[in-house]
Amino acid sequence: MALLSIRNVFKSYFLHGKRIDVLRDVSLDINAGELVSLIGASGAGKSTFLHVLGTLDAPAAGEVLFDGRSVFSMNDAEIAEFRNRTIGFVFQSHYLLPEFTALENVAMPALIQRRDRAPSYAYARELLERVGLGSRVDHRPGELSGGEAQRVALARALVLKPAVLLADEPTGNLDPTTGEGIHQLLRDVNRDLGITAVVVTHNETLARSMPRRLRLAGGQVSEA
Amino acid sequence: MHPAERQTDYRWPLLWAGALVALVGAILLGVAISESEAWAEVAGALGLSFVGWGGLVQSFDAGALALGAQTASAVAGPKALIGGTLVWLAGWGLIAAGIRRAPASGEGPSPAAGAPLYPRLARYRDFYWSTLGAYGGGILLAELALLLLQTVLSSGVPSDLGGAARESSGGLSLPPTIAFAIAFIISMGVAFASGFVGASRAQRLSFPEATIGVFYLGLPVPILLSLMERVPSLQLALGYRLREVTYVAGLIGRPELAYWLVFAALVLALVLGINTGFIAAGSGRVDLRLGFELFVARRHVAVFRPSLLLGALAVLMFGIIPPLIVYFIIRGAEAAVERTRVKSLGLADPLAAASAQHRMKLHEQSPTMMMTALSVGGVGVGVMALIIVLSVMSGFEADLQQKILGTNAHAVVSRYAGDLPDYDKVMTQVKRVPGVVGQTPFIINQVMIASEGNVDGVIIKGIDPKTVGSVTDLPQNILPGGDLGHLEQPAKILPSSAVEDGDKKDAEEEDPIIGKPSKPAKPTVLPGIIIGRELAASLRVVVGDRVNVVSPLGTELGPSGPIPKSRAFRVAGVFYSGMYEYDSKFVYILLKEAQDFFAVKGATGIELKVADIDDARRIANQVVRVLGGYPYRARDWGEMNKNLFSALRLEKLVMGIILSIIIIVAAGLIVATVIMLVLEKRKEISVLKALGVPDGGIVKIFLAEGLQIGVAGGVLGLFSGLAWCLFIEKVGIKLDPEVYYIPALPVRIEPVQTALAVVIAVLVTYLASIYPALKASSVEPVEGLKAE
Repeated sequence: MALLSIRNVFKSYFLHGKRIDVLRDVSLDINAGELVSLIGASGAGKSTFLHVLGTLDAPAAGEVLFDGRSVFSMNDAEIAEFRNRTIGFVFQSHYLLPEFTALENVAMPALIQRRDRAPSYAYARELLERVGLGSRVDHRPGELSGGEAQRVALARALVLKPAVLLADEPTGNLDPTTGEGIHQLLRDVNRDLGITAVVVTHNETLARSMPRRLRLAGGQVSEA
Repeated sequence: MHPAERQTDYRWPLLWAGALVALVGAILLGVAISESEAWAEVAGALGLSFVGWGGLVQSFDAGALALGAQTASAVAGPKALIGGTLVWLAGWGLIAAGIRRAPASGEGPSPAAGAPLYPRLARYRDFYWSTLGAYGGGILLAELALLLLQTVLSSGVPSDLGGAARESSGGLSLPPTIAFAIAFIISMGVAFASGFVGASRAQRLSFPEATIGVFYLGLPVPILLSLMERVPSLQLALGYRLREVTYVAGLIGRPELAYWLVFAALVLALVLGINTGFIAAGSGRVDLRLGFELFVARRHVAVFRPSLLLGALAVLMFGIIPPLIVYFIIRGAEAAVERTRVKSLGLADPLAAASAQHRMKLHEQSPTMMMTALSVGGVGVGVMALIIVLSVMSGFEADLQQKILGTNAHAVVSRYAGDLPDYDKVMTQVKRVPGVVGQTPFIINQVMIASEGNVDGVIIKGIDPKTVGSVTDLPQNILPGGDLGHLEQPAKILPSSAVEDGDKKDAEEEDPIIGKPSKPAKPTVLPGIIIGRELAASLRVVVGDRVNVVSPLGTELGPSGPIPKSRAFRVAGVFYSGMYEYDSKFVYILLKEAQDFFAVKGATGIELKVADIDDARRIANQVVRVLGGYPYRARDWGEMNKNLFSALRLEKLVMGIILSIIIIVAAGLIVATVIMLVLEKRKEISVLKALGVPDGGIVKIFLAEGLQIGVAGGVLGLFSGLAWCLFIEKVGIKLDPEVYYIPALPVRIEPVQTALAVVIAVLVTYLASIYPALKASSVEPVEGLKAE
């Protein structure tokens, strides 16, 4: 059975008073361990699709099933917990919390789950070392470069070993070399940890390097 | 909170029109039902009709009238009655029509119509009757619990009919204030619990239910209670059973004020319960843990930093200007030192210098930080002012109470009419009542007192010098030179002239008319009298001088008809109680002398001293019960000085309320600060939600931020307030003793009152941060995550 399935999802948003239907009766299956890229024009609704997939945004109609369970039929607290345990997000901007150090930022999902501080910090430190930032654990986000911050964000997404990693143009703000480093990390994560990953990107080369490619256009998702 | 949930459509024109029609109907009903003018007077003042209670209240009146005189229903025209009811109901019908579900969208079905609906939307309901029941029933239950507990705890089970008081059978007999405290805490708990249960079951705040519940189920009780004060028929019906309640309410001066304050407190408890219930369970399950939220909140508003706390404390203690000057001097010096260092560093290592400069910039305060400091200061000022003013007023009250109780007894036993001829017997009976620690008989009357130069009207009291000390401070108040014991041994009073007579030659030469030495004066022994210091000054007498006491009542028949009874006394002592009223208006003589003078058998009454002055009322009642009730009666000091103390307490309460406005203003600051924080942190809120913090968690974070400000401000206010009180106490602020009869501003720090000031401040800040916190939780995750 598919890990993530989307059934008849509709979603629209309003722009200047006009309704734009970005998802029209979208149905899709993503299996465990897949590495999927999603491409599409600006404004086609890639981010919206990813948000619906990640339970950040509720669809107007339709269902998102995780392991056969409809996630939007859960209540707020259950959805929040589902998001916390099952899904890791990486956004175009790093969105680290500015008041906290890199280490605290990485450990944040574990702290939200009210795990003990010491082991959470220990694992967060290990992850930071793995993404090559062992020397910057006590720096605040303001003191990190864009690439470094994005690597911290990736470490944060992985700290609870989620089943699904959703990345929304993770290298959109980075120079090509730094971006390639992030891509490599994503591929490693998928291969080594077996985490299912969906990566939204503009980057055709990156998309082509992924085993499965999806294209979003006209409210429909198709295999590309 | 979710846009999808706004389904109720309020049509305001209909609502207003409905309210107006209902009001007209209520007035019609009122006119129809009741001829009593009390309603016309009262209903308008209370604005009852606006909440729709006017009609019901008026029907109460009708009931009361019908009980009293059956003619009432005959007077009301049945047509007007029916008409009024119909109009009233029609008004409510209009209001009901104004509140309804939004009509379905006019557009045709979208292609999504066939797909399963977003399930949470499908489950949503507008209005929960059960929640309304929980809130309204909760507040009503809390009120009834308060009334019942207060009555039962302080006087036992109330007897059914207004017959004789048979409270002695069973039931607790706690002092009324303690009974009130217990009943109040329990009913606050009930209100909180029902709010909590209602909100956590509904999983939303449900303001409509709360408003309706409070208005329609909570309001009638305080309305009835306040009406009771003004409407005689209600007072007859309810007053007897609720007299413990009215007594406690009357302690603060205006009972109505007390009812409404308690009601407001109960509503507050309900709101707190609703809010806590929503936060705990609003997003699906009860979760009261706070560790993570506090962790985040502490970073967002770093209130508990030594520099901020010390700065705010300095401002509270020394005013704004001096600490500001010191601050600028320190900052200026720091910056100068840093700049020199950076400059010298710049020559050697430009990169290090640049980063040092960067750090200097970071050091500067952000606007939110400034707002936070201001809010902390605002709350602090409010709490400080509250503590200082209330402590000074308590000081005045304590001073007054001490002086009054030093001169007056805690309770007085007497008969409704006539004297107590058998006061010995009564005293032996009274002695058995637990809590009575002293008693003395007395006779009281009003007389004129005349010295050679002056005359004054005074209250004369016949006392028993042996026992008077067990009740009042009179023996301690006698100024040096006089002696209370001399009342019983008048021969020992040295006439003041005798001092001059010390050298007899003067006296011998002094009688020029007769030309021979006057009698080598052995002055007649006169009974002693004790007078107050002010009276002594105005009569210009000292110890040993002779005064005449004239009673207009007991007349003697003289040659030219009845003349007022007059008797000479010698001043045996002068007392100083510290109360101008007493020092200028009271004189004391021996009980026996008074019995003779006023032809009283026995005594006017017996003065009692009790172990606990707050319990005086209950003990006084018990004394009456031991004596067998009528014709004996006992009044306690609170009853005897009701005007003075209730005025004082009312003044204190009003001061408290006025000063709380400072805290409310500070709460406004907190709202602004937390809203600024929410706006500033929108992105962070979205990220936290994406990381899996539920709505409740976000609410908790921002509530904790507001609470931190409140707690910091409250603690600072507490410290500075107490420091100021100690300063006033130790150093003293001089008062003109001629005006205030007290040399320095009195201060009395009452722990309960002080704690209450802090608790109120913290509660208000908690309430103030509810709205911004809810705002914060309603930030949709995708809103803040849109790429810039």
